[in-house]
Amino acid sequence: MIRQPNVILGNDELLVTMGRKGEILGYFYPRRDHAQHVEESVACIHTGEKLLWTSDNEWQSIQNYIEDTNIVSTKLYHDSGIRISILDLVHPIVPVLIRRFKIQSQKKISGKFFYYSNFNVGETSKKNSGFCDTDTRLLVQYWQNYHIGIYSIPDYTEWQIGKAMDTIWWTNSKYDMEDGKLQRNKEDIGNINNAAGWDLELEAGGTNEFIIFIGAASSRRLLYKRMQEISKLPLEYIFEKTREHWVMWLSRKQVLKMPGLEGHDNLRQELFTAYNRALLVLYLLNDREYGSFVAAPEFDSNFEKCGGYGFCWNRDTSEVVLALKHSGYPEYCEMFFKWCIQTQLSDGSWFQRYWLNGDVAPSWGNFDYSTQIDETGATLYAMDVYYRILEGLKKAEFLEEVWVSILRGAEYLMKRTRSGIHESCMDLWETYYGVFTYTNASIYAGLMGASHLAEENGEAGMARRWKKRAEFVKQATIDRLWLQEGYFAKGVINGKLDKTVDASILGTYVPFRMISPKDPIEKDMIQFMIENIKKKLSVPINLSYGIKRYENDSYINGNPWVVTTLWLSEAMLSLALDLPSEKTTLDPSYEIPYEKEEGYDETVKKLTDEGIQCIKWALAGATSTGLLPEQVDQSTGKPAWAIPLGWSGSLMIDNILLLDKICRRKAGNSKES
Amino acid sequence: MVRDLFMFAGFNESSQIVWFKIIYSKEPGSLSSVIDFLEKENAFIMFGHLDNITQKTGEYSVFTELNKDVDPGDFAQKIKELAVVSEVDYGISKYGMVYSMDFPLNVIGVRGVAARALTIVDIIKTFNQNAPHAEGLLTISGLKGGIHAAKYFKSILNLNDSNFASVLAELYRGVGWGILEIDCNPETYEGKVIVKDSFIADVYGGADQPVCAFMSGYIAGYLTEYFGKNISVREVSCKATGKKVCEHIISPAPSGGTSQEYQFRGETR
Repeated sequence: MIRQPNVILGNDELLVTMGRKGEILGYFYPRRDHAQHVEESVACIHTGEKLLWTSDNEWQSIQNYIEDTNIVSTKLYHDSGIRISILDLVHPIVPVLIRRFKIQSQKKISGKFFYYSNFNVGETSKKNSGFCDTDTRLLVQYWQNYHIGIYSIPDYTEWQIGKAMDTIWWTNSKYDMEDGKLQRNKEDIGNINNAAGWDLELEAGGTNEFIIFIGAASSRRLLYKRMQEISKLPLEYIFEKTREHWVMWLSRKQVLKMPGLEGHDNLRQELFTAYNRALLVLYLLNDREYGSFVAAPEFDSNFEKCGGYGFCWNRDTSEVVLALKHSGYPEYCEMFFKWCIQTQLSDGSWFQRYWLNGDVAPSWGNFDYSTQIDETGATLYAMDVYYRILEGLKKAEFLEEVWVSILRGAEYLMKRTRSGIHESCMDLWETYYGVFTYTNASIYAGLMGASHLAEENGEAGMARRWKKRAEFVKQATIDRLWLQEGYFAKGVINGKLDKTVDASILGTYVPFRMISPKDPIEKDMIQFMIENIKKKLSVPINLSYGIKRYENDSYINGNPWVVTTLWLSEAMLSLALDLPSEKTTLDPSYEIPYEKEEGYDETVKKLTDEGIQCIKWALAGATSTGLLPEQVDQSTGKPAWAIPLGWSGSLMIDNILLLDKICRRKAGNSKES
Repeated sequence: MVRDLFMFAGFNESSQIVWFKIIYSKEPGSLSSVIDFLEKENAFIMFGHLDNITQKTGEYSVFTELNKDVDPGDFAQKIKELAVVSEVDYGISKYGMVYSMDFPLNVIGVRGVAARALTIVDIIKTFNQNAPHAEGLLTISGLKGGIHAAKYFKSILNLNDSNFASVLAELYRGVGWGILEIDCNPETYEGKVIVKDSFIADVYGGADQPVCAFMSGYIAGYLTEYFGKNISVREVSCKATGKKVCEHIISPAPSGGTSQEYQFRGETR
């Protein structure tokens, strides 16, 4: 069943996704993509009369992160006067989720506190085995080498291991709680669930506290050891260590200053918070062992309504690692490129998407006509961007390491662009077959990057050849896909020019720099593109507008996307920085937006203000905890579909860094004047 | 089109809901003479519909509210004595399972829907063919419905050992699920339920295994809620497997704890 998270937390081995009422939706161990061990895991209260599930609609919730950490606070309020305060954190080193429940009630309660879980250990409901060790008070469920355990302080006083979906329904832990007491069955096999119970004796205004540890390990022995050791530590100590871990990690970031953001209420603080949150999210999407990233935590593992998101795409991850590099974390580039070297296909290209360990993932892009050539272009481009920031010995070592991969990738791009524009393949939205502006731009950037690296490696001939092809691709794209209306066509589909306005044409400017504002004509092209995208793809919601992917988009109702909106703002902010300050001679046949009656300063201000509007729109569409989704529901204005999406986070980081640069430049200019 | 549904708004202890199926000859004024008779005898007509059987005969099915004192058998006999009437069948609703004053239809206190048996059986088949643990899933789905039904009846009438079985039987008939014969000892919680014309087994087609897990679950839920004790109901014989009727065995569920008997099914299967 599709359930989108409102919050995520974890450490290097564990990723947990939760709903807004603190119900666990996903428990990924030991990788972010596999295995997901939880079907349901939630607390409930038996009032003495009836069972109240904390995930039910009758509870109101407020959920947020503890500032600058991946520690979560969830407060639940029930009409009957019960209040539950949940603190969730994952230990920074060991894969154990720690959940502290503080329960208060306005009225006296003599009932039970239950913690119910339906684990699918090993991501399967089959052949699981569960037991309650009453000596150590550990509830364990396992399958092969995956072991998930529940321990508590204080000890639970009753328990049940039962069949989750069987004709012998009375053993089902979920139903066993209904009468307020558990049967204490100690072990079972198959598709099973479990519950732990505690007496809940609350005087009016009183508080009860329960701490639940949900840990994972590769063996029973290790699980026991982990749970025993961690449960000896005071919660305050673990909390402080965890908080310190996140604060320390964030302290390495590129510091923002954002001077002079007056006139935008609280925006500066909002951007600081969003920047930190995006970084913390990307940490959690990354596989520390392999260097790859999931696009988003998986929420549709049965591919009921989409192809799933819990895999690594080179396109998304190239954006993510470059954003991390720009914000002070270059090591993610290095790790990812090592992974790329391992995962490159024999023809020099990269596959549509991968499991985090580098195995090819389920795909609808198995052939030359259905592959996505842009992923190869984007990867080579990102490698070159990373290379350019390295210095000295590190530079040489990196080049040595990636050179063969660069060579193979560039030759693949050469093979697929003999006529200038690329051969037919699938577009970046994974929907259409044909020739696409975005894909051509990524190929251009990939070949230019490869050319630069070849030159650095003393391969002048190759450098010339690849650069020449890159320029050919650029010229062919402009000649065949630029329209008089002032934008690039989406591409050529079924042999026909498709004039649909598609936000991905922005890729010709950012990130791939196929066209540059330094060239007066190309500068005009960029401005016209921006105007046309705003005009044709704006969707009004949340007191502003978001940008949908392309005209007549029907994927998940054709919502506006955070990705495309932040892509537009990135183009605007980049242009504000790139615009040459001196007046240029314009072709009189063009009506140039912005500059028609405006000077340089006004143009920069307008671009910056509009960019800020887009950023604010994206933040308004985030979850209550600040997670950026892929989309925003066009009817409700709420976050939609993949949450959190790594690409959205990386674009937010890019935007904030650009805005910071604009602010600093402006502040510098003010000082000078 | 909604047919054969009781229509009334609540449980009235001084009256009874009686349906009559009247076969009459289609002569000018013949139907009017039937209706006039019902009115004259103070049978309040709540809902009725007509069917053509042949060019010469028709069927008039009518739901009436009769005073509690009236003997429905005698009343049916009187209808049969009318010159235009050839046959009369009748039945009584004691508990009022289904009613519909207006949209939407209401079934035992909450919104109901009418569906072709095939539609529901298609859902069941899809589960059986595709979902792991389909039998358990259907049992648990039924269980919930049965629990809700018993809760509802406990809230509107005095559900007791003398009527809990007939209430369930009337419900099954009212919603068209089947004709129940229930033999259950409320002291030992043991017994059996015969389901004639189970809508699932009727429509399912041939099967190697019993297919009415949803009904077993429903009955289990109803009895569990009524008795306040976990009740196991398992289908041991099913019309879909070629038997004449479906048979479900009722027994107290084994208690859990450290007992191992249920894990490997023991006697419960």
